Amino acid sequence: MRLPIPDPSKPPPGPFRAGFWRSPLRSPRLTALLGLVLLVGLPVVIVTGLLSNDAYQPGLGGNALGRHLGPLDFYLFGWPTRPVWLYALTQGLHVSIGLAVFPVLLAKLWSVIPRLFEWPPVRSPAHALERLSLALLVGGALFEFVTGILNIQYWYAFPFSFTQAHYYGAWVFIGAFIVHVSLKFGTMRRSLRTRAAVLESVGDAEPESESVALEASSPAPASMSRRALLATVGAGSAVLFVQGAAQSIGGPFRSLAFLLPRGRVRSGPLGFAVNKTWAASGVSAAKVGSAWRLELTGARHVSLSRAQLLAMPQHTHDLPIACVEGWSTTQRWSGVRLRDLAALCGVDRPATVTSASLEHGTYGHATLGHEQLADERSLLALHVNGVDLSLDHGFPARVISPAVPGVHCTKWVTTMTFHPEPA
Amino acid sequence: MSLQARFRALYGAGPLNLLVLVASFAIAAAAVVGWFQEPKSVVTVLLWFVAAIVLHDMVALPLYSLLDRIAFGRMPAGVRRGRRSVPTLVDPTPYLRIPAILSGLLLIVFIPVVFGLGTTTEESASGIPESGYAARWLLAVGVMFVASGVAYAVGTARARAAAAPAAPSDPAASPGPPAAPAPAAPSDPATPPNPPAPPPS
Repeated sequence: MRLPIPDPSKPPPGPFRAGFWRSPLRSPRLTALLGLVLLVGLPVVIVTGLLSNDAYQPGLGGNALGRHLGPLDFYLFGWPTRPVWLYALTQGLHVSIGLAVFPVLLAKLWSVIPRLFEWPPVRSPAHALERLSLALLVGGALFEFVTGILNIQYWYAFPFSFTQAHYYGAWVFIGAFIVHVSLKFGTMRRSLRTRAAVLESVGDAEPESESVALEASSPAPASMSRRALLATVGAGSAVLFVQGAAQSIGGPFRSLAFLLPRGRVRSGPLGFAVNKTWAASGVSAAKVGSAWRLELTGARHVSLSRAQLLAMPQHTHDLPIACVEGWSTTQRWSGVRLRDLAALCGVDRPATVTSASLEHGTYGHATLGHEQLADERSLLALHVNGVDLSLDHGFPARVISPAVPGVHCTKWVTTMTFHPEPA
Repeated sequence: MSLQARFRALYGAGPLNLLVLVASFAIAAAAVVGWFQEPKSVVTVLLWFVAAIVLHDMVALPLYSLLDRIAFGRMPAGVRRGRRSVPTLVDPTPYLRIPAILSGLLLIVFIPVVFGLGTTTEESASGIPESGYAARWLLAVGVMFVASGVAYAVGTARARAAAAPAAPSDPAASPGPPAAPAPAAPSDPATPPNPPAPPPS
């Protein structure tokens, strides 16, 4: 029995035939140029994404949120506390550059769509594997961009855990991206070898003579120049970049993020952004009244009222809250140093501290590590911008530590457990 | 036939190609194992993964290509003046198409806020009433089309000036009405009020 091998010279009608694709803008050089932009942009998104995973310190306490530390869950180093804006920068880049490369990705996919219908569909085992790898590349990229873009707009349309799906989805993409770059880098370089070739990919010059499937065999008349197409993609990237960058840089620029939820804030010393309101916490008001106590556990157990905490030495630092969604805001926090609290319960060299909130959501507790505890700017804050914390900002007390993801700055803290460094 | 040549004939590429591909499939397999840490949702994750490809390649891309062809595929080459069709000096297509593409891009990216799909979650997170994004998007659409219209007017005026018969006298000194009512380009404050006509191209 013979396998039904498709006749390479007789593609079925429709998109499998060369004449179907008529845009005169498609060319190997256009694809190569868009590929070059992605080759610069996507690694920024990948690296900052992996750094974000590191910043969450999934190896500590319950920070991994149920993920087991398997081969893809490595945790390279304790997250540093200097500079204080480190996570605001890496995550701001992750979201802003991610938004900016999205139109480039769409344009790149448009430029290579005829390849999806190449005929014969499979030429060799190598070709079959490469096409399978392309499915992982395209699926991985779209999955990551879609889940990320939905997440920053608080639309949890997906019935799965964002962090887990986005993290492992990233690895599917990373693997396929490395393959794609290693297989196609030469093609891209050949397409953009000379300055003239680059100019040609931008302009409207006649496409090169060597026959490549991306060029239309019977192009429709041009109704838009290639330069105009690239300008459009660039303008789209710029608008999206501004949305992400404005909510990250904040200050007077924040309102430029006019299509993202974090483009607006309330006024006043307590008006800065909140990621979980008191109303949404479900905590009863009685628990934060005069009966509230901070329970410290270390070598011994200590219970402190808010008045006792206020009687301890107070320290003030300007520190950002930087959210995984890419927005950040720097405020002036005052409170007690975490290391002073550790000393109070008999732990002189603390390795980790797990803070639990009165609120029992996903981030109801978080563990900070050696780096945070060694930094004297890590505080249990009681005041912000010279006034008492509000309930929305975590009254009676909240954790604030330089350069950690915002959700690890536990609000409405009720217990803190210090673990000493191993002797 | 050497071993390498036989491999190449059978497989279709060198052994390094196979090695790189297998390594990436191993990473993807490890990721699927990771997804299986939440066994209840792994099917939906895989479904979303496949749906992302299918919806983009088989639905979104053909749909926007079709919309583009319907809207801009048969743009007339001229404007009607009475019974005659007067060819436009500047093709208006890009000036409509570019803001249309950008409007579509902003809509696609910001569907959740524009249609208020995450409003309840947003408001419980931020404590700020979250509404008005549809109006903001429409405003952005309006601004882009107006800016494009201004660019088109400027482009037409310049083309008209360039197409006018090159007068022997200096056009700036000519007492008659200028061929083009050269509107002061708002985007270019450096342009003098009466710019010399650009050279015919």
